Amino acid sequence: MNRLVLATTGILVLAFLCLPALIVIPMSFSSASSLEFPPPGFSLRWYQSFLGDPRWLKALETSVLVALVSSTIALLLGGLAAYGLVRGNFRGRPLIEGVFIAPLVVPSVIIAVALYIFFARIGLLGSLLGLIIGHTVLGVPYVVLVMSVAIRSFDHRIEQVALSLGASSTLMFRRVLLPNLLPSVFAAWIFALIASFDEVIVTHFIAGRYDTIPKRMFNELVLQVNPTITAIATLLIALSVVAIGVIVLLLRRGGIRMQSLT
Amino acid sequence: MAITRRMPTEFGYVLPLLLLMLSLFILPIVLMLARSVTQPEWTLEHYQDLIETSVYIRVLGRTLRIAVITTIVCASLGYPLAYWMRGLPPQRQVLAVALVVLPFWISILVRTYAWIVVLGNAGVVNRVLLDLGIVAAPVAFLYNELGVVIGTTNVLLPFLVLPLFAAMVRIDDRLLQAAESLGASRMTIFRRVFFPLSLPALAAGSILVFILTFGFFITPAILGGGRVPMVANALDLLINQFARWETAAALSTVLLVVTLACFAVSRWIGARGATA
Repeated sequence: MNRLVLATTGILVLAFLCLPALIVIPMSFSSASSLEFPPPGFSLRWYQSFLGDPRWLKALETSVLVALVSSTIALLLGGLAAYGLVRGNFRGRPLIEGVFIAPLVVPSVIIAVALYIFFARIGLLGSLLGLIIGHTVLGVPYVVLVMSVAIRSFDHRIEQVALSLGASSTLMFRRVLLPNLLPSVFAAWIFALIASFDEVIVTHFIAGRYDTIPKRMFNELVLQVNPTITAIATLLIALSVVAIGVIVLLLRRGGIRMQSLT
Repeated sequence: MAITRRMPTEFGYVLPLLLLMLSLFILPIVLMLARSVTQPEWTLEHYQDLIETSVYIRVLGRTLRIAVITTIVCASLGYPLAYWMRGLPPQRQVLAVALVVLPFWISILVRTYAWIVVLGNAGVVNRVLLDLGIVAAPVAFLYNELGVVIGTTNVLLPFLVLPLFAAMVRIDDRLLQAAESLGASRMTIFRRVFFPLSLPALAAGSILVFILTFGFFITPAILGGGRVPMVANALDLLINQFARWETAAALSTVLLVVTLACFAVSRWIGARGATA
């Protein structure tokens, strides 16, 4: 009896958690423009209205550009910094690590307000560069976390052997370190990419006339109910599923299980 | 010389990112904090403004209330779920964890939107209730605090369940068996052995949910329909509508202090839980 109650509760809570994802996908194929569920008929009109709207496509372009550039900067600087943090022995490392992780802890809206005022004063408000900077800052914690775990689990002695055999540090990096860390490098990059591609709040504050997909979705949702969003949502879910599949695969190949990241 | 020999190289690797973060993350936040007390000169008037204007007090009070309710609801839904998951056979456990993690990978916009489909006036739930004759008019689930709490709970539940489940799995079964062999009833075992052992994780998870709710922006904006502004939405108005940067800076400072204080408490509980 007691077990039955517990199992029912557990299943109901799980259902509550997953309900939103489960409902959006069928909605995106609905032929109705109202929020009827279950959908009265099958159609691809919402996908057409997404792909046929130049404003959505422009937003997609900005989203992809900003995500690619910001995640790559975050990856390069973050990977380098993670190596220095893990292998280094200088003072103040916990504090420096704290600075790198902080964008994950500080509410996004505070970062948004701070960057808004800062960018307004140095003339970057509403610029593509400002947007990329904001997204880079938000992607850094993911890269530093993932890369720190990966570098820590890579035996330092292998690097030393390569160096003692006469390899320059550049050669060691290129031929020993990078190939071994490659799966984690990709995983870290995808984390930062997704974080940027999903970002709403900071973008909403600092992007000015630039639209990204999430920013446009947010503005549409605040004003009205528009089923086009379900089509984009489904595409985003598909993208997420592919991304998580790739990350799990890469991390496993790199010998790291997801649990060690959290 | 011996001391500085190793330092430059590794610190050199950290330096580029450190400079970037100091100049484009820490500096803006420090300038914002400074602005809240130095415009036009050293003053606390912007904080006084916050206290004396009933709007901000109402928004802060509402944010606090929604955060507390969301935390309580998350804890009372998440605890049974984590407890149930602990007792599942390994394969089903993996499936359950996957389902808990699944929402993490879906844009918060999408998840929030789904609730309009489910709970709106023409939504699934209301149509079922109307068709069954349980209610005469659609129930207003959305565009009020109830809608915001449902949305935030849905988004934040995994943040509580995952660490709680991980902590519960670590509880040694032999402790429970020992209690049982000493004659304790199942209820007593749970109350005196299991629950106290899971308490630090429950507390840490709850504080995390509380912190995250405090900064919520998207859910109240969409599911509250502008009628349930929380602190973040007030900041949006102050910056993007009224251009009142100083008041926004002061309100942000309040939000930041509350967040960091809660974070410090949760770290402290986490450290105690680890040593206990």
